Amino acid sequence: MESFAQSVRTAFALIFSADREVYAAVWTSVSTAGWSTVIASLIGIPTGMTIGVSDFPLKRLSVILLNSLMAMPTVVVGLLVFGLLSRQGMLGSFGLLFTPKAIILGQSVLATPIIANYALAAVRAADVRILPTALTLGAGPLQSFAQLSNEIRFGIMAAVIAGFGRVISEVGVAMMLGGNIRGYTRTMTTAIALETSKGEFAFGLALGMVLMLISFTINIGLSFMQERRHE
Amino acid sequence: MKPLSYHLIGVEARYSCRSGIALAIDDLALRNGQLNLVAGLNGSGKSTLLNVLAFLVQPTQGIVEFSGKFIAWERAELRELRRCVTLVHQDPFLFRGSVASNVSYGAKARGIRGCALQERVRECLELVGLPGFESRNAKRLSGGEARRVALARALACNPEVVLLDEPLAYVDELSTKIIERLLVALVDRGVLLVVSSHDATLGRRLKGRTIRLREGRLVQHPERPATYAAKSLESSAHAIV
Repeated sequence: MESFAQSVRTAFALIFSADREVYAAVWTSVSTAGWSTVIASLIGIPTGMTIGVSDFPLKRLSVILLNSLMAMPTVVVGLLVFGLLSRQGMLGSFGLLFTPKAIILGQSVLATPIIANYALAAVRAADVRILPTALTLGAGPLQSFAQLSNEIRFGIMAAVIAGFGRVISEVGVAMMLGGNIRGYTRTMTTAIALETSKGEFAFGLALGMVLMLISFTINIGLSFMQERRHE
Repeated sequence: MKPLSYHLIGVEARYSCRSGIALAIDDLALRNGQLNLVAGLNGSGKSTLLNVLAFLVQPTQGIVEFSGKFIAWERAELRELRRCVTLVHQDPFLFRGSVASNVSYGAKARGIRGCALQERVRECLELVGLPGFESRNAKRLSGGEARRVALARALACNPEVVLLDEPLAYVDELSTKIIERLLVALVDRGVLLVVSSHDATLGRRLKGRTIRLREGRLVQHPERPATYAAKSLESSAHAIV
């Protein structure tokens, strides 16, 4: 194995020489995480906001369930979705297992409770006068809901960023449902795990650096949104 | 006699099963073109009464009639009813964005667009003594200005009923005079005004009918027709703007 300094140099060389394999893994990671964040946002944001604004008998239980789902290990999500997508599973006939679509499905399941929880927290932190004000000005339920979304938009953006941050850095779902197929379902995290175990430390390090850069950018975005939210 | 706007019969409101009665009204009639001042201590049910009149809080029992129609508190019906009424809260909430986007909110919800909308925003801001405030950031206004913008936003809806929760609390003398002049002008236009206030002198100044509440119940309910002229106030207010 090369020395650490030498590995760092090789890693930089791989990044700046636009190594095909590095960029294939980066692209697979970003595209699957992007799509799963979109799907999870479409489900999670309305769910979290609805739980936040409505009053119903099982509300407390719903919040506990959302919190519990947020802490679900990625391999458990991978295992459950694997059960659905395998030949004997309910969705086995679609032949999705070991495709990017399977990763997207699994990551969507993983990100939805996170995004819903963040949206719920944003609604709870919002001014309680928003909805009554909109209603008394003649807005319908959908218009007042849209106004609430507009007022808490930084909280909602923070939810989306948190969801993306979770799925881009996970390894369990991508490994179990994608199968780590080179140039097809190999993501940054699964490639790091595989290449490092093969002794290709510099390759893993190059991907690790790209992943760190993405995570760092996400965190800057998240901090910015949190600050704007409290303005 | 002016047409009846609201009629509350045996109305009782609670905020939850375990909480006590927030409002218990045996019989209360409110007519168009009336100025009604709701007086009472903290927790006497003033805000609850306004919320019931704004169709935001459904009474736990009793009958509410609006313009002679029985209210069934169904979703579709409530949306239409809320378009006839606007409530300005004690501490009004202004949405993010400009003063113009706030003032135009209710009018837009009623389908008004384009030049007509701009004209209405301008007129309403002039009425509350804030001409040229359209592009100001709504979150950067003083307390008195914010309250007047909220009032302009309510007026832009062109409502039949205006409900004001403590409109004169924590506002300066100038804002007080502008708001009082507006209240008189609205009543002259035939709008039903229901104003809650701690200020006992407000009733005398505006010469409206005073409805007193104590622990959610009516204490004093004078049947005499209200007089709304308040000419001395109007003439003094005209000198301000």
